[in-house]
Amino acid sequence: MTGERTFQKFKRLIPKKAFLLWLDSLKKDYKLIGPVKTGNHAVFKEVDSSEELFMEYGTTMLSPGKLFLYKPNEELFRFTFNEKNPSPIPLPQGEGARGRVTEIFSSEKISVDEIHSMPEKQVIVGVHPCDMNAILYLDRTFLGAVKDPHYEARRKNTVIISLNCAYVSENCFCSSVGTGPFLHAASGYDMLLTAFENEYLVEIKSRRVEELFGLRGRGAGNAELRLKAEKEKSIKWKFKKTVDISGLDNIFAENTGHPVWQRTAEEKCLSCGNCVMVCPTCFCYDIRDEMSMDLKTVTRYRCFDACQDIRFAEVHGGNFRQRRAARLRQFVTHKLDQTNQYGVSGTVGCGRCITWCPTGIDLMEITEEIQRYEPA
Amino acid sequence: MTLDIGVTMKRPRLGFFKYSCCMGCSYFFAYVHKHVHEVLASFDFVFIKLLSRKGTPEGPFDIALVEGTITEAWQVDELKMIREQSKKLFAIGSCAVIGGIPAIKATAPELEVEKKVYKNLSPIHSIKPHAVDAYVKVDGYIRGCPPAERDLYEALTSVLTGREPDFPQHSVCIECKLKGNICILIADNMPCMGPVTNAGCGALCPSMNRACYSCFGPMKQANAPALAKKFKAMGISRDDIIRKFTEFGADTIEFRKAVETVYED
Repeated sequence: MTGERTFQKFKRLIPKKAFLLWLDSLKKDYKLIGPVKTGNHAVFKEVDSSEELFMEYGTTMLSPGKLFLYKPNEELFRFTFNEKNPSPIPLPQGEGARGRVTEIFSSEKISVDEIHSMPEKQVIVGVHPCDMNAILYLDRTFLGAVKDPHYEARRKNTVIISLNCAYVSENCFCSSVGTGPFLHAASGYDMLLTAFENEYLVEIKSRRVEELFGLRGRGAGNAELRLKAEKEKSIKWKFKKTVDISGLDNIFAENTGHPVWQRTAEEKCLSCGNCVMVCPTCFCYDIRDEMSMDLKTVTRYRCFDACQDIRFAEVHGGNFRQRRAARLRQFVTHKLDQTNQYGVSGTVGCGRCITWCPTGIDLMEITEEIQRYEPA
Repeated sequence: MTLDIGVTMKRPRLGFFKYSCCMGCSYFFAYVHKHVHEVLASFDFVFIKLLSRKGTPEGPFDIALVEGTITEAWQVDELKMIREQSKKLFAIGSCAVIGGIPAIKATAPELEVEKKVYKNLSPIHSIKPHAVDAYVKVDGYIRGCPPAERDLYEALTSVLTGREPDFPQHSVCIECKLKGNICILIADNMPCMGPVTNAGCGALCPSMNRACYSCFGPMKQANAPALAKKFKAMGISRDDIIRKFTEFGADTIEFRKAVETVYED
């Protein structure tokens, strides 16, 4: 990935219509994914034409990173008990399941096949800064010291076009954690859009998109960049939710027994795991085996796991966090604290966990209560 | 039977026992699911009333599947006997797992319930309804009404291969989110029981835009009172909230707590 400086000159103003037509032109090589309006909500999904896109969306329930890069369900291995005349193993079925199968072990009795994901090329358009930062966070997990081949293959095949926010949703707090409302990450994505009235300010951030992008548009000068800065300034004071994250690591560590945990766990928390499932940075997964009823194959797959589940990280004797309060605290502190894990906060301020919590548990309220608290 | 893992073994002896219920689990087990053929071929059906009048409930059994709520004294005796004669015993279906529909009567005194239905009480010998695990130890729960296919196969293959079965214990919400459904509880203000309900169905109802009614019963450590409070705040009437928590789970501690909360308010 190349730094921002290299692409300084690629700041152009492109009429919105022309830009959408360019997206359509990508469809012959890429799967086009973007926000689509369904009912009162928007969801990220594959579209046939850029006309379906709903670029003025607020926040989606599920983040694009955890739908199209880190998959909710993914088959990893298949174990086959050998017959005399082994039949070829059928490839996994369903969307995005195109794959290659390599045999990694075989004996008279059993053969083990690894399912490689061979993802299609895809473009994800309209990724908000919080979700883009969340993908960069997932990168730290899956492309860090140990690389996850499935994630890596999809990440390489995905062009990400980020879109700076023009609206603030009810529970957004990205301005407090430095992940929005405008994207400032230098690299890791391909293009950044800022919506002006009839045009997009297009900033190209990678070589591959530089090669793909054929539109000339109008070069953006200082006036446009000033307008962008003004837009950012004007949106920043629209946030209703704020949090002071300074020193939270220590504050949480000192208040593991704070009454707010037990009270919230009793009165509100359902341990349903919605917060974890909608969180764009929650990366835990579970590995499960499923045996076919004819006892001939075992499928090993992974799917999202949730620290709210009583069986999460179960060892002999059960989960270390038997109490609901402990599991709630784990989620909240992993989001707002534990910067020592990757050097950044685990939250990107999208507010999804607040929006989609059935009982409306608010991380900001919990944090404020602990910050206000002075032990007697 | 020769398994392809190179082990030759006798087909496990299977008994399927029915108590107070609609017999839907037997029907499902024998006719409806995806792998009927494999199931019929893999087990020695020693006793299953739906398929054969022959057979006796005499053990030993390698696997006993029990459907239905226990609502009569003779059922308790037979169930205890079956437990002693079975290596593995699974409760199958909501009635056996949590009490289910027959346990609705658990909320009223037994005699009042009987008088509501029957004129002549002399042939009635019913007792307070309970799930199977109120009387005997259970090796696993195949939840649902109808039961979850995946859990059924998990139980059956665990017996065939001699391993411990693994059943989900998380909420329906997790399955629902994995499917990518927009939450109907938040977005559409529907009184969905998903957050306190054990998974296994693949979020069937929410995927069809219907609120979960908890036929799978409460998940472990479910915080039902908090959800009851949420329903109340949504404007659901007290009676409707009570019905939601007593439709299938009237005999469960978790849902009784929710009913108590609603009465207290």
